[in-house]
Amino acid sequence: MQVSYFETGCYNAPSDLPRQWPMPAGAYDREAGLRAYRGMVERSRYVEALGFDWVSVSEHHYSPRILTPSLPMAATYIAAQVPNIKIALLGPIVPQSNPVLLAEEMAMLDTMAEGRLIVGLLRGTTNEMLSYSLNPTESRERTDEGMALILRAWQEPEPFGWQGRHFHYRTVSVWPKPLQQPTPPMYALGTSQEASDFAARHHMGLGVSYGPFDAMAKVTSYYKEQCARHGWQPEPHQIIYRANILIAETDAVAQRALANYPRQAAFALKDGVAAALLELDQRNVVGEGRRSANVNRALPINFCGGPDEIVAQLKQCRAEIGAGVVDLAFQTPGSEDPDALMAVLELFGKQVLPHVGAI
Amino acid sequence: MAAGFGEGFVEADGFRIRYVAAGEGTALVHLHGAGGLRLTPAHEALSRTYRVIAFEMPGFGASAENTRTRDMPELALTMAAAAQALDLDRFNLMGTSFGAKTALWLGLQKPELVSALVLESPAAIRPPAAVPPADTPEEMARRLFAHPERQPPLPAVDPQQAAKQAAFVRRVLGPPRDPNLEAQLPGLAPPTLVLFGTLDAIVPPDLGHYYKKLIPDCHLVFVYDAGHAIAAERPEAFTEVVSDFLDHHAGFLVSRRRSVIHP
Repeated sequence: MQVSYFETGCYNAPSDLPRQWPMPAGAYDREAGLRAYRGMVERSRYVEALGFDWVSVSEHHYSPRILTPSLPMAATYIAAQVPNIKIALLGPIVPQSNPVLLAEEMAMLDTMAEGRLIVGLLRGTTNEMLSYSLNPTESRERTDEGMALILRAWQEPEPFGWQGRHFHYRTVSVWPKPLQQPTPPMYALGTSQEASDFAARHHMGLGVSYGPFDAMAKVTSYYKEQCARHGWQPEPHQIIYRANILIAETDAVAQRALANYPRQAAFALKDGVAAALLELDQRNVVGEGRRSANVNRALPINFCGGPDEIVAQLKQCRAEIGAGVVDLAFQTPGSEDPDALMAVLELFGKQVLPHVGAI
Repeated sequence: MAAGFGEGFVEADGFRIRYVAAGEGTALVHLHGAGGLRLTPAHEALSRTYRVIAFEMPGFGASAENTRTRDMPELALTMAAAAQALDLDRFNLMGTSFGAKTALWLGLQKPELVSALVLESPAAIRPPAAVPPADTPEEMARRLFAHPERQPPLPAVDPQQAAKQAAFVRRVLGPPRDPNLEAQLPGLAPPTLVLFGTLDAIVPPDLGHYYKKLIPDCHLVFVYDAGHAIAAERPEAFTEVVSDFLDHHAGFLVSRRRSVIHP
């Protein structure tokens, strides 16, 4: 099993911020922002030294919680200063992107990072439908089309036009191309049937996130069935599980920290907005069928315990979900101090990571 | 038959050739695919701007078995004669799949007749392994369309007519890579638009770039989420790009779309 460290920016606010989305921009503290981006590089260097396989970044907007609205920029900044670790975009929000620009940026990044790029493409959390005024009822179609266009843009040797439903170009001819051939390792991210269908059809990996093992196992099982329909089977490293982890010196300390873990929505939306999104943002989740997207629900802690217990849970994750990669968001309940994060990274790196390779 | 289309026959090159036509304006001649003449909503949409003439080539439909035409260049000359018999001395030419290869040969041999070429899912360059013939209309629909469930059922084809057409296609289509044709494509004069559906299950869209390499004034456009029968599956997208190309040729690369939301 490989381990990815999910780098969020770790913005440490000097004063309490309200739990809401979007966060008022006037609350931004420039010094805290400066520390956050410096810290991104420090932590990425540290996890590289500890032996983590990847560092990942994820696109979110209008919030200090994950301070990377431009993924290629964040990833390039890390890649330029951290020499060996794989750089994973998990991922750009395809439906609100210019897919051609994204193809260009990711190709630049893969080349500048000398072939260390990993790409996960996704539809995005439901609050992000508001970021650039994306109609939630169109986001699935735009995601599928944008992903197809990115793959085509990297593949075609001659200029071409794209007569899409949502994207329209008369001339596309992407320079540079990714260093890795034919493409960097590619994943569709999501628990919907459509994400699995697309990934299976294009021989891509699948990334699932935050759900309990049994629910995620249904998704990866469906994905493998679809891969079989297309005549192939994914390798373990082609299944990523993104998860929250709360690790402490002992199980008891971890459990006490879990009791203090704030059960709050990551991106809390006001009632009227949430109601509109619940109505319009439908997802076709494997094992659940069509339902509203997650709105104002807290994300669970997926791994919790001392080092031995975490190793046991990672084994269980591998056995049930089939994930060959875990992308971990390290939680430090009660402390937003970046030093607390460095401490748990060290604990994981020294006491868990040596046992993970064999899982 | 699609609204506004009337049927006619023309004598050309010793054949009595059926056609359907509608609309006024610049002539747009269409040569059908290996399954024969089948009008789509795109024909109707194009006929609002162009005079659309869709021929049924000798050996297809109810016409007699065509044992005389020896190869694709000869078929192309017959179709050029048919167009001229309708007093078309300069026209846009659109070919679908099998008919796209006919259109290429017509453009090569009679460049003075052709203002511009549109090739829908052209079958002039194909993978080495041929797609086996479909046994039922349902199977044919699965091959032609990315989303057969969104299409009206294909009509059942008389087995004798299907066998007659298939034999003719086998005889004149030529090899998957036709060195004689490909050697001449660098001399093709008319501006050319090549269209492929991103989900074409009969001719892989990955072959599209060969046309772009071989033909001097060629544009390649992928129509997203369409199979082999692009005009049937995405008629609005097909009509828009074809019209834009026919009106502006290479200038169709320049966007004329307005992006003002509120003036």
